[in-house]
Amino acid sequence: MLFSGIPFLYYFLPLVLFVYVLSPKKLKNSVLLLFSLVFYAWGEPKYVFLMLLSILVNYGLGLLIERHRADMWGKVFIILSAVFSLGMLGYFKYADFFIENFNALTGLSLPLLKIALPIGISFYTFQILSYTIDVYRGTVKAQRNLITLGAYITLFPQLIAGPIVRYVDVEKRLLERTHSFSKAAEGIRRFVIGLSKKVLLANTLGEFCAAFPAIGDQSVLLYWLYVIAYMLQVYFDFSGYSDMAIGLGKLFGFDFLENFRYPFISSSISEFWRRWHISLGSWFRDYLYIPMGGNRVNKPRFLLNIFTVWFLTGFWHGAEWNFVVWGLYFAVLLLIEKWFLAEFLQKNRVIAHLYVLFFTAISFAIFSGSGLEEALSRVGGMFGAGGLPLTSLSFWYQLRNYGVVLLIAILCATPVFVKLKERLMQNKVTRLCLEVLEIPFLLLLLVIVTAYLADGSFNPFLYFRF
Amino acid sequence: MKLKQILLTILFAAFLFVGSALCYLSPAKAYSESERRPLAQMPELQLASVANGKFMEDFEAYAADNFPFREVLRSLKALFSTEVFQKLDNNGLFVADGHISKLDEPENEAMMNHAAERFSYLYETYLKEKDTKIYLSIIPDKNFLLAKPNGFPSLDYVGFTERMKEKTPYMQYIDVTEYLSLEDYYTTDTHWRQEKITDIAKSLAKAMGTDVTSEYQVNTLDNPFYGVYSGQLAMPFPPDTIHYLTNQTLENCKVTYYDTGAPKAGELYNMKKAYGKDPYEMFLSGVAPLITIENPSATSQKELVLFRDSFGSSLAPLLVEGYQKITVVDIRYVQSSMLGQFVNFEHCDVLFLYSTTLLNNSLALK
Repeated sequence: MLFSGIPFLYYFLPLVLFVYVLSPKKLKNSVLLLFSLVFYAWGEPKYVFLMLLSILVNYGLGLLIERHRADMWGKVFIILSAVFSLGMLGYFKYADFFIENFNALTGLSLPLLKIALPIGISFYTFQILSYTIDVYRGTVKAQRNLITLGAYITLFPQLIAGPIVRYVDVEKRLLERTHSFSKAAEGIRRFVIGLSKKVLLANTLGEFCAAFPAIGDQSVLLYWLYVIAYMLQVYFDFSGYSDMAIGLGKLFGFDFLENFRYPFISSSISEFWRRWHISLGSWFRDYLYIPMGGNRVNKPRFLLNIFTVWFLTGFWHGAEWNFVVWGLYFAVLLLIEKWFLAEFLQKNRVIAHLYVLFFTAISFAIFSGSGLEEALSRVGGMFGAGGLPLTSLSFWYQLRNYGVVLLIAILCATPVFVKLKERLMQNKVTRLCLEVLEIPFLLLLLVIVTAYLADGSFNPFLYFRF
Repeated sequence: MKLKQILLTILFAAFLFVGSALCYLSPAKAYSESERRPLAQMPELQLASVANGKFMEDFEAYAADNFPFREVLRSLKALFSTEVFQKLDNNGLFVADGHISKLDEPENEAMMNHAAERFSYLYETYLKEKDTKIYLSIIPDKNFLLAKPNGFPSLDYVGFTERMKEKTPYMQYIDVTEYLSLEDYYTTDTHWRQEKITDIAKSLAKAMGTDVTSEYQVNTLDNPFYGVYSGQLAMPFPPDTIHYLTNQTLENCKVTYYDTGAPKAGELYNMKKAYGKDPYEMFLSGVAPLITIENPSATSQKELVLFRDSFGSSLAPLLVEGYQKITVVDIRYVQSSMLGQFVNFEHCDVLFLYSTTLLNNSLALK
């Protein structure tokens, strides 16, 4: 089920809110678990059992890991947990990728398994791993209540598209959480803004991105327009979903960490990754990069650490070579930045911003392909490969057609409106206006979003790969 | 501040719960008049359909199609999209020069090949080595005249026609584009206006060696015509007026409709349909696999077999004068392989009259 769909907004959400509010405190996690399973089963009826199996296995392993933390069995159980969770992920997400490449290397033709990817498996696998690893490290206590652990793993606000919520961050809230009008209002604001980002901006830009491959008169500037639209589509889709998750979390008494902080205003690639999909970056940092030694190792080992982390970051996004190349591309950029550019970028802020935008644009061209060939052809297209003309009728048309949306999206991708609001809040009159207008504005956004959804407008689901 | 938080929470909850209640309580509609399509219905809850996800998929379509006040919301969306986002099109529809039109689909070679293959089948099966003259004429979409001058991307209509001609070398091509102008098309619909295409009928008839020179009486339908694009646009747009042409020759014609069951006598202009969901269907009753129009006033012994799409419905009556009999065939609704049972292809002219829209999306041709 998509947050940005009528079944969620007008059938599921009112029902779950109604039951949740009426249920006694001790049953609230059970209500969340039950509705989260329905939410997941709506999109993946079969795979809900896979998720239940994961919960049961890791519930047991969590308890065993805690009991045997001090002895070698603790290590065995944490390895078992990792093998089980990553094995599931590997089988469902990467099996065909490995078979295809094995066939290509050996000339064999082993049949592909053609398994449908369980929605959100990459997200909940990492959540489960964070739980068992943290239990092993002693950072958190193993959860003895199966329903509580189940509610954490399946929690529908962040189940299928993140952010990757670590058990340690919500442990207290799972056991004891408060609900208040101020928290609910904060959640509503965040949810409506996220929903609008997804439906009004991401989906509108997505229309152009989906139509782009079929446009006949391609040109260099059309490729650039596409890449910019695609960057913004992914950003607003993903950050919109994170906003909705954070907002819904607040409605149910949780506080999820931020997942995006205006990444396109970064002045270095390393800053970009501190602002983009923060929960994934910090997961890799804390559970892979630092345990491997981070940067406090010799140079060859440091290189190995960096390339391993970025290889896996790319691979996490999809079982295609272009995602691997995409990850390694960032590894190379980060190394160049660390060794050669850091000082220069700090002194030349304008160039630094342009540098980030240019190289992230190329990264999105790589990311947008459905395979390495298409990804490289898109990068080529941005530089006129194949003798592409600079402009074409379609470029001018699409620029006119999407120009305003792009402009709004670009502005919304920066903190300009937040800063404007802060400034207006300092003045008594404008502050009053903002206070009065906020509620009608949010409700109007809800009506407009509903209008888009009722029209059956383009509403893609970008997370099928994750 | 606290009051505001409470107010926001209550209003949001009220919005969701009222919306939800309306969704549950509103009766499902079967058909969208404005979009001219059946609306999705509540799927039956079955274990198998839940297990394979079909129930959920169908429910999502049902929930969107039957959302309360959907028509108003569609208009709001269109308004927001075009006025706030300044989008040039809404759901692929745009307004230019007083016309609503739909952005062209990219040229689809597979579809063109499919159409050419179906025509070739007809030629090989019924027409080859017979005393027939075979003609092709392609009617460009109004985008041919509308899109490029207004900065909208469009098909390469000239190239499209050339490629179609290459695929059908056994046909003699009749170019009618020089007689076309934007005014020949309805402003809210894809089709052309019958009263504006008499020159095209004349040029086709002339190219096929016959004459259609008589005058017509122009009749006006007293029912506003909201064409197919009108409802899809979801914004207010003035309707068209349908005019239809009559004269004594046409009134004397014997029109027979062949569908499943016994042949039925009918009219060139179906006045019941003129007041129905799509008034353009008044021309030869809209969807009809096979129609014969016999002209007792004909001075010529010639017969014509007209393979056509819906553009042919309004044009066919204008060719009547030049023929003793016209057989109008729509192979979207009848298998080509069955035509030999119903149509005599001996000693006749055969005209394939198709729009670019159909040829570029020809999967329906059987």
